[in-house]
Amino acid sequence: MIDTKPFRSLMRRNEHLFVPIALFIVLLVAAALRSPGLFTSSGVAGAILVAAPLILATMALTPIVMAGRGSVDLAVGPLLGFINVTLVQWLVGSGWTSPVTIFAWALFVGAAYQVLQALVIIYVRVAPVIVTLSSYLFLTGVNLMIMPRAGGVVPEWMTKWGAGTSIISPVLFVLIAGLAIWFVFTRTAFHIHLRMTGADERMAYTSGVRTNWVRIGAHLLGGMLVGLAAICHTALISSGDPVQAGTYTLQAITALVLGGASLSGGRGGAIGSVLGALNMFLISHLLATFNFGMFSGFATQISFGLILIISLLINVLLTAPKIQAMR
Amino acid sequence: MTSTPNTTFPRMKAPARGRMLQWIRCNRPSVIGVGLLVALVVMGSLLVPGFISVQNARSILLLAAFLGLASLGQTMVALLGGLDLSIPYVIGAANILLPSLINTGMPAGLAMAILVLAGLVVGALNGALSYKLQGQALIMSLGFGFAVVGAAQIYTTLGSAVGGNVFAPIPAWLTNIAAFNGRFFGLPIPPVIVIWIAVTVVTLFIVRNTWFGHSLYALGGSRVAASRLLISEFRTWLAVHAISGGMSAFTGVLLLGFSGGGYVAVGDPYLFTTVAAVVIGGTSLLGGGGGYGSTVIGALVLTVLTSLLVGMGMSFAAQQAVVGLLIIPMVALYARTPHIRSQI
Repeated sequence: MIDTKPFRSLMRRNEHLFVPIALFIVLLVAAALRSPGLFTSSGVAGAILVAAPLILATMALTPIVMAGRGSVDLAVGPLLGFINVTLVQWLVGSGWTSPVTIFAWALFVGAAYQVLQALVIIYVRVAPVIVTLSSYLFLTGVNLMIMPRAGGVVPEWMTKWGAGTSIISPVLFVLIAGLAIWFVFTRTAFHIHLRMTGADERMAYTSGVRTNWVRIGAHLLGGMLVGLAAICHTALISSGDPVQAGTYTLQAITALVLGGASLSGGRGGAIGSVLGALNMFLISHLLATFNFGMFSGFATQISFGLILIISLLINVLLTAPKIQAMR
Repeated sequence: MTSTPNTTFPRMKAPARGRMLQWIRCNRPSVIGVGLLVALVVMGSLLVPGFISVQNARSILLLAAFLGLASLGQTMVALLGGLDLSIPYVIGAANILLPSLINTGMPAGLAMAILVLAGLVVGALNGALSYKLQGQALIMSLGFGFAVVGAAQIYTTLGSAVGGNVFAPIPAWLTNIAAFNGRFFGLPIPPVIVIWIAVTVVTLFIVRNTWFGHSLYALGGSRVAASRLLISEFRTWLAVHAISGGMSAFTGVLLLGFSGGGYVAVGDPYLFTTVAAVVIGGTSLLGGGGGYGSTVIGALVLTVLTSLLVGMGMSFAAQQAVVGLLIIPMVALYARTPHIRSQI
């Protein structure tokens, strides 16, 4: 008799991944039928290049959402844009183009801003949604003040990144670095504390978890991932753009939900977020293969909307009994 | 308008410490809001020449009226502890569908009525779908908004040469309702301001005097207690979302009179400004505290602040940055959550 208990518990723990995995498979099959070009070496390379910023931005949202209190970070897009425009306008503009400087700046700004947000949430004790909402407005304005319109150049070494001709590209390494950070994080006690805090902050607090430090840590991790996302985004567009990055907020939140994370906290992970972001990419890629003409933008919008609704509903059906029990 | 009666009900769990003290505590957000409003007007009159003028007051009230009408649904949803992010998309959809319907030869009044009804239905559907989600309901409303605006754009683009904008001859009475130089029975007041006042009065009356109004606060305060009172959470949740959808469609329709041409992105600023008006007014996003009276103050504060910043010659980007920076201190004045120590 084979003991199925560990297997079943693994299944139960990853129930939220069923929908994203199923959707991913369906989309892959559809992509194989509609556009076989995606599965060539250059197709995959292009896909990595285009999908990397969204994957990393979605991963950046994950720890912050997991920390609970409905703290979905609305400012992730503008923060990504802030790093993008400051890199191009300030660093490259002043001649600081070495990779070390660029990476250090991106990671530092991302992490510092997120920790600042965490401190405001903790000490000013204003609801996270309001903090990130005000960040969204603030950073969107600041980005436009730093760089009124798209332009500028990226460092010499980064221009080759945006070519997207081979699979083994620097962007892939950045993506792997992000996943590695996440992997290390899941091996720590901090990961368990984060899940506890998100699932029930009061219970975690009374059990001796230092919830404030957990929140700061979640934002720190998220901020570093935003930094990596900003580097990939900068490589992708090969310039500075004060507006475009703002759209990552809604895309990343959608991807996060598609990946099965719970916006009420406690549940989420890199696998789900990566799958969610890949699904988003595949959906827009598939839609682009249809000849919608003038409708294409609208068709993308309506499909994102419908897919978000359906995946949320399926998530609810899967987890509804537990929610009832918890109440 | 700042003297509108406040709707904040005494919280049921608050211990009795004398009615006066309780009144002040319960109405602190409104007291602060009115103070803020006065301070902003004084600053405006000192810093910006011509700030205190009929012209400026009229434009502030006009813009605040649109924001206030769009924020009515947001306030009610927030009272239940949710957020409706479909508002900008419903506004945009109604804004392009109205000229498109007028182009088919339908009378404008009928088309408006149909769109507001459609908004109610769409909102109710949004509420029905998001009911089970609770914590994630706002994302459901976002997805729902995407779907609605995508469908509206596809419909209006069918058989037209350009996507996005829709043009039609707009009846003069609709323009009069929403334009800067609109007149209300000969008075130089754009009628939309009068509509806003009427809507405010009716809303405050309904919230204070009906079972529905009491249900809002009961549910926001405690779901369990409300269900013991036989208040249907589902029906109330559905109703507030329907109201939100209907009011969004109504705002979108009125905005057509203001701008003159259907433009789908006209609603976009309302994604964040409706939330900002609600929280600056002092309605807690956790549910149970605040009310539409507070949101009216919030909408006015936000509009006066924007007008002040424009008057000081700030670019749109700088205005956004300043408003973003100011939201946290404004909210911190009265909407701080208690420390976790005191929540155990």
